[in-house]
Amino acid sequence: MEWHQTPGNHALCMRYHSTPAITTSLSSPIKVPPSSCGQEAVGMELETRPETLSIFRTQENDPACQSEQHLGQYYTVPPSHFHTVFPHGLPPRYQQQVKTFNEGCVMVRQPALELISHLKRADYSKPTMRYLLYGVKGSGKTMSLCHTVHYCSTQGWLVLHIPDAHLWVKNCKELLPSSYHASRFDQPIQASNWLRNFRTTNEHFLSKIKLRQRYVWTKRESTEEGRPLGELVDMGVSRVKSSSDVVGAVLKELRLQAGGTEGGFRLAVAVDGVNGLWGRTTLKKEDKSPVAPEELTLVHNLRKMINNDWCGGAVIATLSQTGSLYAPSSAYLPQELLGEEGFDSMDPFVPVPVSLYSEKEFESCYLYYLDRHWLQHPHSRTEEGKKELIFLSNRNPSVLERLCAFL
Amino acid sequence: MFIKQAEQLKLEKQHGQVDSGHQGVIRPGRVFLVRWSRYNPYYLEPEPRKEVYHIPETELTPEQKEERELKSVRPIKAATNSVTSSVFNDPVLSKFVNMMMKDGDKIIAKGIITQTLENMKRKQVEKYHKAPEGKKAEIECNPYAIFHQALENCKPVIGLASIQKGGKFYQVPIPLTDNRRRFLAMKWMITECRDNKHRRTLMYEKLSQELLAAFSKEGNVVKRKHELHKMAESNRAYAHYRWW
Repeated sequence: MEWHQTPGNHALCMRYHSTPAITTSLSSPIKVPPSSCGQEAVGMELETRPETLSIFRTQENDPACQSEQHLGQYYTVPPSHFHTVFPHGLPPRYQQQVKTFNEGCVMVRQPALELISHLKRADYSKPTMRYLLYGVKGSGKTMSLCHTVHYCSTQGWLVLHIPDAHLWVKNCKELLPSSYHASRFDQPIQASNWLRNFRTTNEHFLSKIKLRQRYVWTKRESTEEGRPLGELVDMGVSRVKSSSDVVGAVLKELRLQAGGTEGGFRLAVAVDGVNGLWGRTTLKKEDKSPVAPEELTLVHNLRKMINNDWCGGAVIATLSQTGSLYAPSSAYLPQELLGEEGFDSMDPFVPVPVSLYSEKEFESCYLYYLDRHWLQHPHSRTEEGKKELIFLSNRNPSVLERLCAFL
Repeated sequence: MFIKQAEQLKLEKQHGQVDSGHQGVIRPGRVFLVRWSRYNPYYLEPEPRKEVYHIPETELTPEQKEERELKSVRPIKAATNSVTSSVFNDPVLSKFVNMMMKDGDKIIAKGIITQTLENMKRKQVEKYHKAPEGKKAEIECNPYAIFHQALENCKPVIGLASIQKGGKFYQVPIPLTDNRRRFLAMKWMITECRDNKHRRTLMYEKLSQELLAAFSKEGNVVKRKHELHKMAESNRAYAHYRWW
């Protein structure tokens, strides 16, 4: 892919030429912001050829078909997919952005493409591969994870997306002692919320998967063998008290049945903020002594999921310093955030570093904001303003987003 | 911010520029900071704008050349924290931030203003993207343009002064200077947003609502301006009590 600069060296007026060997579909005319390219606009019209595309958008909305040529470009998540695939996974500022722009666009970046290529080529009869996304704060780990989850969803995998593991180890109002195991604690609200979102994501799987074991909840309630998974999930959502145990049962069933030859499905476990599962919690028991993470049912079951003793799926995890407890703000490497115990449990894993925006990605982001009428300050559309944005944000995606929000 | 002012004080002490009428007091072990430090008139003002330094040697007028030579020999005052060479610097907005600031906490005030601008832009851009093609051009999305226009709409044209004549005080209509008008508009906006809001509404939310209303000439602040105009109109008879 070549980038040409029109006369006048105006970096905004770039053209994209499709390489002859690879066909690219549909074109839309390049969107030149009228305020800055006043004199060049005439020149641009004369030079526009039929196959020029927008620099920052691609029409390839299927994550499976995206490749290196789409790096730095935005693809749109179809609105029909949005609420089913992402009821709870996206960062809050991104959700606001989707609501404002009336569309959900994700940038195709190197870490996500790498992950997707690994997932395409992995051998699913071997024990599960664990992939860990790490990087500095705001570099785009959660968005890469969401991109991968979208891919898994479109490929028909069953997606277990835990939006933030830190939410399970802090700020819990109700901590019930577990009925199943004497020394563990249940978190009914968090578990039932998660089950509700799980039900939205995987509607079509709920009737297909049958339970292989009988589960007894109370003296009068039990779920028999051979019942569909949907029934179990509904029970967990309605009976909030036993929802944590239901989560444990669901995870166990999925783990057993994932690699199965008859009616086998692939299971993707996507955990954001996986470093919250090891370390400390801020929860306290009634005698004010601290609760260790393994004493929480949800965390205990999730840890079993992340172990690589099952096959037929993949575990994709993200480290996160933002919600983490008792971790210094400059820490971003796996060793620092996971701690000894966490690193030993996750080991061996495939580390995927997520870096800040490259120059091309920054350009793309800048043009996208211009296109969506987000950069409104007249000076932000000039070269000087752009240089200042690069300087102030250091090309960090989240810092750039916050800067452009009020400009 | 405080470190800079302390250094400024120290500098002044070193150069012996602190006058006898100086507002600062230095006690052993503790420096009391001053709001307005008094520099010797020998010191020149700093120039924060970048364009001035980009003019090549040849295009300078004789006055500018003289000024440059003067600046190379004379000492320059320390720049305050509110001046920047950034292209996004807006003096009216800075004044508004200063007026909203309480107890010198500019970080919180600036944060509120940036959240307000973001909120206004989000509402307008959302409306823009949902509007049909014909209506898109009418929607103003630039929060700075909205802010300036809203402030213009809130500025009163004529004010009232309390003048004593024959033992009684009369409300006399008087012309207002530009600065006074701007001050009144900002003051009314801030007091309105502080007082007349629900306990749970955040400042930036209320401020963005009021600014958007003022932009379309509705809302309580514009109403207050109209009431002032009406009072001035009704007291027209006393206008000759003004002697300036």
